[in-house]
Amino acid sequence: MTPTPIKRAGFGLAAAMALALPVAAQELTIIRAQDSNHYDPPRTTAQSGAEIIFMLSDTIVGLAEDMKTIEPLLASSWDVSDDALTYTFKIRDDVSFCDGKPMTAEDVAWSLNRWQDPETKSPVRWRMGDVKSITAPDTTTVVYELNAPHSELLYQLAQSFGSVIDKDTYEVLGKDFGVTGFNGTGPFCWESWTPRDKVVMTRHDGYNWGPANYENRGPAQVEKVTWQIVPEAATRTVALLTGQGDISPYIPFIGYSTLRAAPNINVIKSESAFWTNYMGFKITKDLVGDVKVRQAINLAVNQEAMAEDLFFGEVEPAYSYVSSGALDYDTTLDETLLKYDPEKAAALLDEAGWVLNSDGKREKDGKVMEPLAISFTGEWQQTSEAVQADLLKVGIELQIEPMDSTVYWGKSATDEFEMYVMGYPYISAGDALNLYFRSANIPTPNRMNWNDPETDELLVAGSQATNEADRAAAYAKVLHKVHDNAVWLPIYHRPMQIGYSTKLAPFEAHNIYGAGLYKGLQLTFIE
Amino acid sequence: MSVTSTNVPPAPQTSGSIEGDVSQEFTAPARAHWLRRLLKDRAAFLALLTLALVILGAIFAPVLATHDPASNSRSVMTPPAWMARGNAEHWLGTDGQGRDIFSRLLYGARLTLLIGFAAVGLGGFFGSLLGLLSAFNERIDPWIMRTMDVLLSFPAILLALALVAVMGQGIVPIVIALGISSIPDCARVARGIAIGVMKQEFIEAGRAVGLSNLQLFNRYLVRNAISSIMIFISLRFGQTILIGATLSFLGLGARPPASELGMMASQGRDFLLFAPHIAVIPSVVIFIIVLSANVAGDALRDVLDPRLQA
Repeated sequence: MTPTPIKRAGFGLAAAMALALPVAAQELTIIRAQDSNHYDPPRTTAQSGAEIIFMLSDTIVGLAEDMKTIEPLLASSWDVSDDALTYTFKIRDDVSFCDGKPMTAEDVAWSLNRWQDPETKSPVRWRMGDVKSITAPDTTTVVYELNAPHSELLYQLAQSFGSVIDKDTYEVLGKDFGVTGFNGTGPFCWESWTPRDKVVMTRHDGYNWGPANYENRGPAQVEKVTWQIVPEAATRTVALLTGQGDISPYIPFIGYSTLRAAPNINVIKSESAFWTNYMGFKITKDLVGDVKVRQAINLAVNQEAMAEDLFFGEVEPAYSYVSSGALDYDTTLDETLLKYDPEKAAALLDEAGWVLNSDGKREKDGKVMEPLAISFTGEWQQTSEAVQADLLKVGIELQIEPMDSTVYWGKSATDEFEMYVMGYPYISAGDALNLYFRSANIPTPNRMNWNDPETDELLVAGSQATNEADRAAAYAKVLHKVHDNAVWLPIYHRPMQIGYSTKLAPFEAHNIYGAGLYKGLQLTFIE
Repeated sequence: MSVTSTNVPPAPQTSGSIEGDVSQEFTAPARAHWLRRLLKDRAAFLALLTLALVILGAIFAPVLATHDPASNSRSVMTPPAWMARGNAEHWLGTDGQGRDIFSRLLYGARLTLLIGFAAVGLGGFFGSLLGLLSAFNERIDPWIMRTMDVLLSFPAILLALALVAVMGQGIVPIVIALGISSIPDCARVARGIAIGVMKQEFIEAGRAVGLSNLQLFNRYLVRNAISSIMIFISLRFGQTILIGATLSFLGLGARPPASELGMMASQGRDFLLFAPHIAVIPSVVIFIIVLSANVAGDALRDVLDPRLQA
């Protein structure tokens, strides 16, 4: 099915721009590693989906690069009732979709209602809180009513899932929305998508409602953006070096020193990326059911050496499950974190009854300590193998089963492993904890089978807190609880790093959901 | 396929019958002859020597290895000794985990050869048996060969993927997949050779003196067809190693930290631009093994195949 109105609008735009701009075409190629299964906002949780959706559409509120400041976007202002149950958003009246149709509060309410509609089957429906109703009493007002307070609501509404799309286009395209066409209010408009190859988007000429964290609030300074997929990591580095692409947030860690040394490439790094890679324990399994064993594994792994050798000093070794820079991180946690101490690890294992046998392996009641870890192939396999080598030194024989990502997601929803690997983006401690530690989220994303009523209560309390102190206090308790139980083995906090051509003006990296370029309004070629 | 050469030796026997005596007289000098010819061929000699060295290296890996192949170190991606920044401690350098590449190669060759031998053995045995039976008994011939046609339509990689999905990752499903995918080829070749043998007069003679089917099959058919079949199997060996390495490269083979040559090449792929030795060295070793196996197989065919002899 072809989205004729959109295409026509696209061609119209291209023609208009050709007349308006006599200078060389401002075409930008962004190199990335993988595609999304589709680009329908509430239904894709892929980072590669968010990257595209942020540029093609807008959310009701935006988020600044610091990951803490909420910026007006489609809503110019909002009021929160004293009981924190009702959010009243004032929607801008000068916004239009890519096909030229004006956007109203009705479209905002419809898009948000579609996100929460059970029929949409959004895997991230919980991010919206306990919604009572979302209505548009007039063309510039949206009323978002909750049954219980949801302290992170604005942060969640800044995520790509609640992006506003055009109802009419959706009704024409149906399931093909975000596959064969798209109609949003973003700084760029959908031109084409060739799965596993590229997404092409053209500038939305009328756009001028970008979030205030951007100096340029619209229209975008480049005319055309091509998101090109290059699956091979080394090839991405070469493509950037040789000018086949202009920007890439997907450079392998080993490549950054080469890029920094190259005269034609700049590299920006943002520490407040809030992306943590960890290995989780299936705590209901015998081998890792004992907290002492899990603590020992935490103590036996040298995250610092891994960060330096495996990731070339480009990442921050992680001992906590969320980055210390994230909202509601509790600094009293720092003293309790488990850092590399193999002797202590060995002592803990002895204490737990896992003693060294004649082969130098840990054994208890005739059973050898050989937990199975499932892992993605590629970089994750390297990480798992480094953990495996460290654990071998204390007598734990970690078994690794590396598998392709297409198989991994299904496998990680089963009970057939002791450890698994995962990296995840978050905007705050509460976001991370609610995602992973609610008992309702078993078997995924709570793959640890962490089932603790007190945690559930505290998470609800944090989520429903009406002031920051209460929220932080509730989340701090959960943070302590899960760290004390060593349910994860944190590996590293991944910074957002983007390599880009010196032909482009310097810009600041964003961090929302791993989408380092966010709306793309900052991107421009130096004259 | 019909064999008209008069050089096909009569069926050798161990029971001291007339045919057996003749064959012993005939084959002993012939054997010395082919071995001499084989060693005279320089390429074949070199290939056999290389294979022998690789096999010895694999067998004595625990003695020859300078490091524990699974143990990592802080010196990651050290280049080989002869390159700048290289050092004598790791003379072929280290990989991305700081593991010694030379030691991993020895253990890797072990696994790679094991996969090759086991798969070819499995495929060769069942394939030859089915092919010979097919030629021997015309009634079961169409059944066996149509089954082989069906098997032939499964590519080895697809079969391996399916088996790994069912059995989990490891070298056993890889060996089975490679073995099964060798069966139809071996069966077809064995059947072709066996049909030629079945047309020989000594088969008729065997029947005439009242040998049972089992005796005919075992003493006359198998013994006369086996050398030609072995040539085909030896040629198949190089190919099997290559597919095995491909499967490991795709992450279907051995589980880490075990090393396998294809897996080592795969792990080095991401560093190709920055530390090419991690991928290049195991790839070169795979290349050398496969080349040697093929050259040796060719040479064996040249000296053993009766049809190629003057």
